[in-house]
Amino acid sequence: MRRARPLLESLFAISIGLIVGGLLMLPFRYDPLKAYQALFRGAFGTSHDIMETLAFATPLMLTAITFAVGVRAGLFNIGAEGQMYMGAIGAVFAASLLPLPPGIHVVVATLVAMLFGALWSLVPALLKIWRGVHEVISTIMFNWIAFHLAMYLAIYYLAEPGRAERTRPALPTARYPILAEGSTLTAVIFVAVLFCIAVYFVLWGTRLGYELRLVGENPEAARYAGVRISRALLWSFLIGGMAAGLAGASQIIGRPPAWSLYATLGNVVTLGFDGIGVALVGRNHPLGGILAAILFGALQHGGRFMEYHAGVLSELVRAVNGLIVITLAVPELWAMVRRRWIR
Amino acid sequence: MKELLLQRLGWIGLTALALGLLTYGLDRVGLEPVSLLEAGLLAMTPLALAAVGECVNEKAGVVNIGLEGTLLISAVAGVWVAEQFGSGVAGLIGGMTVGGLIGLVLGLLAVYGRSDQIIAGIGLNLFALGFTPYLLMSLWAFPGIHIFPRELMVPRWITPIGQISPVTVLAVLLAILAHVLLHHTVLGFRIRAVGEKPEAVDVAGVRVDRLRLFTSVLGGALCGLGGAFMPLAWFGGVVKEISAGRGFIALACVVFAGLEPLLALAAAFLFGLTEGIAYAVAVTPGVKERIPFYFVNMLPYVTTLLVVALVIGRRRFPRTIGRPYARE
Amino acid sequence: MLAHPHFRPSVRTMGLRIEMREIHKVYPDGTVALRGVDFRLERGEIVGLLGENGAGKTTLMKILSGLLPPTRGEIRIDGRPVRFRNPADALREGIGMVHQIFTLVPPYTALENILLGQEGSALWLAKDRARDRVQRLLEETGLSIPLDVPVELLPVGVQQRVEIAKVLYRGTQVLILDEPTSALTPLEVEELFRFLRRLKEGGRSIVFITHKLREVLEISDRIVVLRNGRVTGEIPTIEATPELLAEWMVGRAVVPRVSRSPRPPGEPVLVVRDLEVMGDLGLPAVRGVSFEVRAGEIFGIAGVEGNGQSELVQALGGLRPIHRGEILLDGKPLPPLAPIEAYRRGIAHIPEDRLRFGMALNFDVAENSILSRQWEPVFLRGGGRLNWPRILTFASELLQRFQVIAPGVRAVVRSLSGGNQQKLVVGRELTKEPRLILAVHPTRGLDVASTAYIRELLVQMRDAGKAVLLISADLDEVLELSDRIAVMYEGKFLAVGPVEVFTREEIGLMMGGMIPEGRAR
Repeated sequence: MRRARPLLESLFAISIGLIVGGLLMLPFRYDPLKAYQALFRGAFGTSHDIMETLAFATPLMLTAITFAVGVRAGLFNIGAEGQMYMGAIGAVFAASLLPLPPGIHVVVATLVAMLFGALWSLVPALLKIWRGVHEVISTIMFNWIAFHLAMYLAIYYLAEPGRAERTRPALPTARYPILAEGSTLTAVIFVAVLFCIAVYFVLWGTRLGYELRLVGENPEAARYAGVRISRALLWSFLIGGMAAGLAGASQIIGRPPAWSLYATLGNVVTLGFDGIGVALVGRNHPLGGILAAILFGALQHGGRFMEYHAGVLSELVRAVNGLIVITLAVPELWAMVRRRWIR
Repeated sequence: MKELLLQRLGWIGLTALALGLLTYGLDRVGLEPVSLLEAGLLAMTPLALAAVGECVNEKAGVVNIGLEGTLLISAVAGVWVAEQFGSGVAGLIGGMTVGGLIGLVLGLLAVYGRSDQIIAGIGLNLFALGFTPYLLMSLWAFPGIHIFPRELMVPRWITPIGQISPVTVLAVLLAILAHVLLHHTVLGFRIRAVGEKPEAVDVAGVRVDRLRLFTSVLGGALCGLGGAFMPLAWFGGVVKEISAGRGFIALACVVFAGLEPLLALAAAFLFGLTEGIAYAVAVTPGVKERIPFYFVNMLPYVTTLLVVALVIGRRRFPRTIGRPYARE
Repeated sequence: MLAHPHFRPSVRTMGLRIEMREIHKVYPDGTVALRGVDFRLERGEIVGLLGENGAGKTTLMKILSGLLPPTRGEIRIDGRPVRFRNPADALREGIGMVHQIFTLVPPYTALENILLGQEGSALWLAKDRARDRVQRLLEETGLSIPLDVPVELLPVGVQQRVEIAKVLYRGTQVLILDEPTSALTPLEVEELFRFLRRLKEGGRSIVFITHKLREVLEISDRIVVLRNGRVTGEIPTIEATPELLAEWMVGRAVVPRVSRSPRPPGEPVLVVRDLEVMGDLGLPAVRGVSFEVRAGEIFGIAGVEGNGQSELVQALGGLRPIHRGEILLDGKPLPPLAPIEAYRRGIAHIPEDRLRFGMALNFDVAENSILSRQWEPVFLRGGGRLNWPRILTFASELLQRFQVIAPGVRAVVRSLSGGNQQKLVVGRELTKEPRLILAVHPTRGLDVASTAYIRELLVQMRDAGKAVLLISADLDEVLELSDRIAVMYEGKFLAVGPVEVFTREEIGLMMGGMIPEGRAR
């Protein structure tokens, strides 16, 4: 029972989110049952759909890491969005402008993206450490700055000649291989999963991870234990930035058919914010995040079918995401349910 | 205390001076200061409304990180109500009501559900991110944007310093009222106490839950008015990203002001002015070609960060801010 | 404080007769606090409510003052059943409580705190009108309080007066005091007692919650003893004996005393010279303290909490910067603000508040068993990896050796009782093979058995030749364990010497800042 509790809580929150989401369809005369049926059939109906769901899940498990590693260190790092933009810019830059041999090129492009993401998280980290600026404010401001900066760079420096609506595409040498014909799922998902496992190992298997979690659990005990708190916070931001940067890369060099960044940033926007819900449903655990990302990937991929078959705009899925987060913010809701029905 | 106030005023003075110089510079390259002030006051209004409400709310120890989401939803709701009643003012009231309801829900979750207020606020913002385009599509069957008839716009007053919206004047009045409420009334006396030590208020026989619900609804309602102001008295239409981070800039104003409504108003004016400059630069021929639009757009966010980084750390916040109260 | 000679209550008081019957209380988390308690209070009497920590004293009185609803049972006032939904209801019936943790708004002045909830007007705040009424109350009761200073700047004793004034201002007939003496000096305690007797003569009734036998015997008319949520005895004070009360309280004859054999002390391990340390508000908290602790001795520091003890230990443990002076460990200076260096040099630190400093509640037993030791090479493998097999073995050894009752080494420490949590912390620190042990309130809040066990461990450490610095708010603990003691008051040592040369009364005086004759250092 004790072990199962987080899982049950997450399932409870997901149900509440879906139910309230369904209620929001009623005033506009949509049929929630039909909509959700279309959604789930769309998400898991065929093996092709399952692969698409996984393709949607790939960036989400990474942006979830950004938030989760933050929470583990006691931070609300909601900067995955901006760090992901910068990661995408880094990926475009390395993948489309640097001529490198195959094999090495993919690795370099991936690392450059992670570096860009980490660098973008550095300023909020230092503002937090030096000036005590609350990370919610600083990361949000950095998201907006990144938004405008990324568009500027995409249009002024990285645009594909003759096609202003997007950047130069990644050179073939910098692309992750597609896993099945006609699918948008590429080998980048393995990198993402490996990254999640690595973060799990760092958090629970190393002194750094122990100290980072201790800072999040009880900063005063961390000080007593001789932990350098600023160092732990810095690492939390940097790991998060690398994850978000990798998420950005996954949409450029790991996602056909564009292999590039749209000038409106349309193929990356909100992936960072979506990661917050994924992280919370995954209980801020890197491995739980993988499962939760698959669920949210399913919602996003299936959401298109919902739009097509039931006319409900797929963005409602994002609202459901928010409802799930709100539900998870209120532990008492779950406690009340348990008292009433389970005892 | 007085010293702190002077210090803050000093900061504002310095920044105002810098902005004055900037204004002069902009004037030299062909921008009009009057239109700048006009744009600045418009941009100030939603920030000020959201920030003033949040000041009172945080004084009571409740944090609403979801100002951004509240602005978004109430902007759409305001336009819808305005169309139903054929009146912009009705829309403002509608936005305020919806904002108040959102505040009520968040307040209920925080007070009785003992929610993590930061996560609940983040959740609200995420919800609004999806709900707003969904609403736009479902209400008006058009993706991402809706332009309503011009006659629904709340008219502006024409004055020597440009056109001024009555809502702007209202926002200033509300800031003053909030100051009076907090510092000169029994209610404010209790609100400030509840943020510092809810136990004290409770054993004195005053209901902690009601005080916090009240401030949460008040904060939400003011923010909702700010949300409805944007389409109905400023832009003339609603788009899915209409709030554009203003909720967070308002939070920065609150931090900057150390929860004092009058200072929050001043901060909102500063941020509004930077936004006004950005807007003016973007539309003025001869200037917009010289400075890339994207950099101008970053200005409010960069300013916010700089200001917060410079003044924070000297602010004293209520001891129980963001923490639920329970008797053991 | 209570110097007014002609104390007369202004209102003609009737007094109340209160009866609580069959009170049960189960907290939402399932903890059973009260299991059917009967309690009565007559007009104009002082009842001592005695019991150990967790006996249910405070819960019972929180129910009477409307702060908590009872799970079952009824309350009658003058025979009429009442039901309190909140403290306001109880205040209307004339029942008010002064809590152990003060319920004052720190930045508000005393006047503002007294007015809160009783502002006397509906809309505008008019402090000056109310000031007269408060002033009159203070004159009548003889309480002296500076009305216009923020209470956070007032000493604890004065804050308590503000609390009492706050309750009396509401026309209270029944005054409940929860452990009112825990933060007071002996002199202040006597003043408080005089004041309470005068209130009683004026017809008010008082419930005095405490776990101190001495006090309850001195002040009360009747004593009710609670243990584990039940009344275990009730007796008029004149018939009570300390032995009987102690038995009712702990269920066993007496608290076992730790035997401490005389032992010649060794070399000085810790030498502190002219140490000055700043407090959180930037004012000096430790003001020029010099002492040494030798191998094989327990050096105890007595004193009312908040006189610089915390800051002193934090400086020694590397958690707080040193403003002046020096700290030598084994003759070599200790670098400031470097806890790990302090641990490496042989300092073990049992922190003052385990929940705040000593552990992470959501970490499991194994993780907590290496907290502050996570840098030790024993627990690491190459590349900064944790050596989990070794950590788990170490944790289970710790559980066994220090009699910690836990479901397992991977159980979250939140699920352990306070006593077992503390034993885990103590065990973790004592197994560091230290040269010097800083033990701060090592037994606070523990049951009798755990207390005796931990005290014994400290004496064993001393006998094994370690240097022990003991700081405790419990004077009896300091006297029982220490070889030498110091009394700390306002950041200074008023006296240092072997424990035998002081009488309890002398120490009591010095804790209140008075130096007894012939004791000037």
